[in-house]
Amino acid sequence: MEFAGEQMQSAAQAQGGQNGVSPAEHRARQERRNALMLISPGVVWMALFMVLPMVMVIYVSFWTQTTFTVEPTLTTDSWVRFLTSSTYLASAWTTVRIWAIVLAATLVIGYPVALFIGLMVRNQTLQTALLVICIIPFWTSFLIRVIAWRPMLGTEGAINMILMKLGIVDTPLTTLLFSELAVLIGMTQIYCVFMVGPITFMLSRIDPSVIEAARDLGAGFGRIFFKIILPLSLPGVIVGAIFVSVMVLGEFATAASLSGRKVNLLGNIIVSQVGSLKWAFASVAGVILTIIIAAVITVLLRVVNLRKET
Amino acid sequence: MLLLSSVTKRYGDVTALDRLSVTVPDDTYVSLLGASGSGKTTLLRVIAGFEEPDSGVVTYDGRRLDGIAPHRRGIGFVFQNFALFPHLSVGDNIAFGLRYREENPLTDTAEMRQRVADVIRLVGLEGLETRKVTAISGGQRQRVALARTLVTEPRVVLLDEPLGALDANLRERMCDELRSIRERLKVTFLHVTGSETEALLMGDTVAVLSAGSIAQIAPASSLFSAPHSADVARHLNAYNILSGKADGGRFLSDCARFVMPGHPAVQDGTPIEVALRFDRIFVGSADAGEAPEASISARFIASEFNGSSVLSFFRAEDGTLLQVVAHLSGPPPESFEEGALYNLAFNPQDIIPFIKRAA
Repeated sequence: MEFAGEQMQSAAQAQGGQNGVSPAEHRARQERRNALMLISPGVVWMALFMVLPMVMVIYVSFWTQTTFTVEPTLTTDSWVRFLTSSTYLASAWTTVRIWAIVLAATLVIGYPVALFIGLMVRNQTLQTALLVICIIPFWTSFLIRVIAWRPMLGTEGAINMILMKLGIVDTPLTTLLFSELAVLIGMTQIYCVFMVGPITFMLSRIDPSVIEAARDLGAGFGRIFFKIILPLSLPGVIVGAIFVSVMVLGEFATAASLSGRKVNLLGNIIVSQVGSLKWAFASVAGVILTIIIAAVITVLLRVVNLRKET
Repeated sequence: MLLLSSVTKRYGDVTALDRLSVTVPDDTYVSLLGASGSGKTTLLRVIAGFEEPDSGVVTYDGRRLDGIAPHRRGIGFVFQNFALFPHLSVGDNIAFGLRYREENPLTDTAEMRQRVADVIRLVGLEGLETRKVTAISGGQRQRVALARTLVTEPRVVLLDEPLGALDANLRERMCDELRSIRERLKVTFLHVTGSETEALLMGDTVAVLSAGSIAQIAPASSLFSAPHSADVARHLNAYNILSGKADGGRFLSDCARFVMPGHPAVQDGTPIEVALRFDRIFVGSADAGEAPEASISARFIASEFNGSSVLSFFRAEDGTLLQVVAHLSGPPPESFEEGALYNLAFNPQDIIPFIKRAA
């Protein structure tokens, strides 16, 4: 027995002596190396195509702008021009206002849909089928989906025709198309599904017996919704809200195509400034837009700690 | 008193409950024993109101329950998987019913705190009030589920396999606690289980659910010693069931032939089933002279050691499987030789005969 013990001890020493690390430490090193290998492509990509350009945009926003060129002489001219112009400040306000309305509309329309698919439909195949139906519009291009609203909302469009046939209005409604309303309708329709998806996912993970338990304890539907279903689906609402916010705040195509130039979002300003080679000014608008988006996401993440949700 | 009469519940072609009638008295511990798929859970769900019966009536103290929404029935339900609210703390889980129930919710915070503290002491969860329910052990979750239901003071508490998710050690402790909690609160517990030992241990009264209806309801000891049908005996997992027919006051099958106790007045040739308790069989050597009057000769297959007893399996010549329990408190049982023929002897007075019902 003693002999065997000695042998084991010397074997351990030999192993330890090989590279001077314990097996646990060896394993830990290997795992660190693996983690580093997994994360490095992402880090390189983000550094090259996100961090670097963002730093560049901030830098360019302080460059000197002449009519057709932009020179690397630092100045705050573009910033002063943006922050003192009522037109540009108004467009920043419009961006925030449209974002808030579209966010609210996607939530109000999307939540009941998600409630139906995620909670009422308990058949998984049917659930998937319904979600696929929700994303069928994405089989056509984004621009076509936006422009398709024109024949719907125009003065001789489908909605006006139906309203006139039904005798609800005598003359076609002109406020439907080329107005802020058209932009709101278009954006809500396009982005609603990004709200429905995450909420449906969270709702479908709620154990039905949890809802039955709440019922058994005497709670009516309203209480169950506000105290059980809504809190449990909140992470889905936040993820959906982040999707919708990021996309709506950076929008320009829907406004350009459906508002008849009445709605100018920060995105539209950037497009037109870049079009006229005003790089410094476009950069200012870009930085301000980035700050707004970052602020919105920070606030949303404060509402619920997504990392805690498993 | 909870009363179900002629309750039927179908799912498509499957009849889960078939004209089931049962009376559950006040202030008792009733355990409901049934194999999986016998309609146990459906029965509880019909009583709680998560399902409505296709026909039949459910009443409590003369008040009709069927047709009433589950949150207005005053029936407590403890779920098999506990179904705790994952986003709430232990304390908030327990206070949920008092705080948010539709009928006279409790608004007085002092009283709320008092009642939650009382029930927490009752189930032994002191000091865990602020923990998240995802951060406590299985046994503690079980207690939260129970406390959450008990605090609303339901008249009947339905427990759906409440011990199924616990490990063996904890299960025994919870058994004692469930009984003592119920005795203190003087409510009715209806405890559903698939385990015959749990059913007999827990229930003052045991009901056996078979094929969607109650096969027998009786005090635990009398149910065990005198099952009313072969079906009930089968559920108790303590009886060998032999099929045969009557022949002049005797039981006759391919492997056995003996006088039936009490000489049941049945016509010759009537199909008969008899129940023979595992622990009333004595194994003797096959060639030990004259075989006793009531005996079956069978080959030894295998045995299982269970700590305090040994369960041995034998197969008779006609293929009937027989189980024999030898308690180790007596003289140590001899070890049997696999495949060898033995004589399984018993006293015919220990036999319980049943007339086999036409299927």
